[in-house]
Amino acid sequence: MQASSKELYQYPLHLIFHPFDGYWELKYERNQRNSLLIAFMILVLLVITKILHAQYSGFLINLSNPKYLNSLLEMLYVIIPVLFWCVANWSLTTLMDGEGKFSEIFMSTCFALVPLFLIHFPWIWLSLVISAQETAFYYFSNALAVAWTVYLLFVGNMTVHQYTPAKTVLTMLLTLVAMAFMAFLCLLFFSLVQQIVSFVVTIYQELVLRG
Amino acid sequence: MRRSTWKKRKSIIMGMICLLLFVQEAPYVSADGKTDAYHYSFWGDAVPAPAAYEATTIITGKKLNTTPMKEPSDMHVTANQHVFVLDSGNGRIIEMDRNFKLVRTIDSFEQEGKEDHFKNPQGLYVTEKGHLLVADSDNHRVVHLDEQGKLVKIVSEPKSDLLKADFQFKPMRIVMDKGERIYVMAEGVFDGFMEFSADGTFSSFIGANRVQVDPVEYLWKRFATREQRSQMVMFTPTEFTNLDMDEEGFIYATSGDRGKDPVKKLNAQGTDILRREGYQTPQGDLLYTQEAGPSRLIDVDVGDSDMYSVLDSSKGRIFTYNGDGYLLHIYGGIGNRLGQFNTPVALERAGDRMLVLDKALGEITVFQTTEYGRTLHEAVRSYYNGDEDQSSVLFAQAAEMNANLEYAYAGIGKALLRQKEYAESAKYFKRSMEPKGYSKAFLLYRKELMREHFSWMMSGIFLAVAAIVTVIIVRRQKRRTTNAGIK
Repeated sequence: MQASSKELYQYPLHLIFHPFDGYWELKYERNQRNSLLIAFMILVLLVITKILHAQYSGFLINLSNPKYLNSLLEMLYVIIPVLFWCVANWSLTTLMDGEGKFSEIFMSTCFALVPLFLIHFPWIWLSLVISAQETAFYYFSNALAVAWTVYLLFVGNMTVHQYTPAKTVLTMLLTLVAMAFMAFLCLLFFSLVQQIVSFVVTIYQELVLRG
Repeated sequence: MRRSTWKKRKSIIMGMICLLLFVQEAPYVSADGKTDAYHYSFWGDAVPAPAAYEATTIITGKKLNTTPMKEPSDMHVTANQHVFVLDSGNGRIIEMDRNFKLVRTIDSFEQEGKEDHFKNPQGLYVTEKGHLLVADSDNHRVVHLDEQGKLVKIVSEPKSDLLKADFQFKPMRIVMDKGERIYVMAEGVFDGFMEFSADGTFSSFIGANRVQVDPVEYLWKRFATREQRSQMVMFTPTEFTNLDMDEEGFIYATSGDRGKDPVKKLNAQGTDILRREGYQTPQGDLLYTQEAGPSRLIDVDVGDSDMYSVLDSSKGRIFTYNGDGYLLHIYGGIGNRLGQFNTPVALERAGDRMLVLDKALGEITVFQTTEYGRTLHEAVRSYYNGDEDQSSVLFAQAAEMNANLEYAYAGIGKALLRQKEYAESAKYFKRSMEPKGYSKAFLLYRKELMREHFSWMMSGIFLAVAAIVTVIIVRRQKRRTTNAGIK
């Protein structure tokens, strides 16, 4: 089934306002391929928002140095946390009899990020015409977006894994711990790899200089 | 099959490469290697800047037609630009006039009919009346001489309940305020400066540094046993390294460790009232290597218009800030060239000249302001005196000579704001990274714009709303008719 263009934006909007219905549909009724497509699109939009925000938003709220703006890194700052969250959540919920598949977890997570995009994107331009006193609105809506996203994540998790609310909260907290653990392991692994590489390079240089 | 595994592997490798970016150590940017003048931008980057001062001459004992200075440790310049140097190793005070000609040397004074000498004095202060105060360290006393070099009084071994029984008074640096109260920085005193009243009795401590606790060390201490803890270093507050007094009687003090605030301005109660409105708090170098460590500020000199300079002994650099805490310029360095030092210990301003005393070499380097430095100082001065038009012109000149001086743009912005050039003003404030000023200018600009274009904007909005409403009504109508048709 081809996704109609209208559905592409109507469904996420429906989901963020009616999360219980929306996530239920996501898990049991909707075409998985379409949903996956939408999920990727949301992620891409969020990446674009992040990059544009760092470059173009008004200087009253933009605290990043444009000289060191790296779009690739900005992209990773969005994608890596989402990926870590999904992997950690999946690893945990398989052990805690969650019913969600990885793709479902990924989709539900991405759909939960819609408010972030919806609220942050207009602010890139709004921030250009605000004064210092009005930045309060910016920070307020920012907080609102985050709260909304967390709420959606909560409902998404609950629906996808068919958990009780208490267990969902517990899982989410544990997921955060698992993410920290994964980050630690990754850092450890890559710093070891770097050391090995530098060791090999040193030996190579030694050989070249002596030979 | 093979291709698909390669694909998988490729994606994994790509992922790893991406992650490697995170592991990469942050590149260490350092201000080192830039021996010439530089500046710190809003972002904390070291950026090139023209020199505000250039070294002109070196004053040695030989040039003064006297014996070489031996480990001089302090210096003071009076209002009429007479330079007093405390030549500690020789136990004497050298006085020079404004052209660096020797006026006199004081190596002894008369006490109760007997001749008395200094023993390794470390601190010197000259009051407005020309009275000399000497922190006669190894004699554990403070000597107060009048302008002729006659003894006025001696402050020795203070007695107080605030002091420990085995307290040994070793004054290192000294200042005196208009009420003839003496403030002494003494060795091994962590409670702040010792304040003596006019008759020489110890009254109290003022302005103690707070204890700085390293969280990691604190954690270790929590886990340690009592025996282990007794072996560890105590958390002690940092000692001050120097002090100076401005015209209004506020004490400027520096501390050696990079604590929270290595520069302080103390009022009579000992409360820190230094303004830190600049891009970074006054602290010397922002960028430094791990080995070299942060700046160690060992002297402070307060100039006019609230400008003050601090001397960093580890890199031999002088940092000048204005009253709001904005960095104005950096110069000096450790090295062998003219304008560089070996072991700088004291810093004094004499008009538009700056003098730096080198302890090991026993010489004074004289710096003269360049045109850039003069313009900048004059701009700060006029702004301090409330002459904003003059200051904005001067700031514009300074900005022309140093495009990296973001601070100057705010001065231009302020002037433009008063001239009601809001859009331009906002632009300059933005360039100066000054959110408050920018916001003010922008708000006025926005209001102006709105007032100008209100009529057509409002009609535009009205038309748009009307159009949307019409479309909705028409659509609804249409749907109703088609639905009726189906029925």
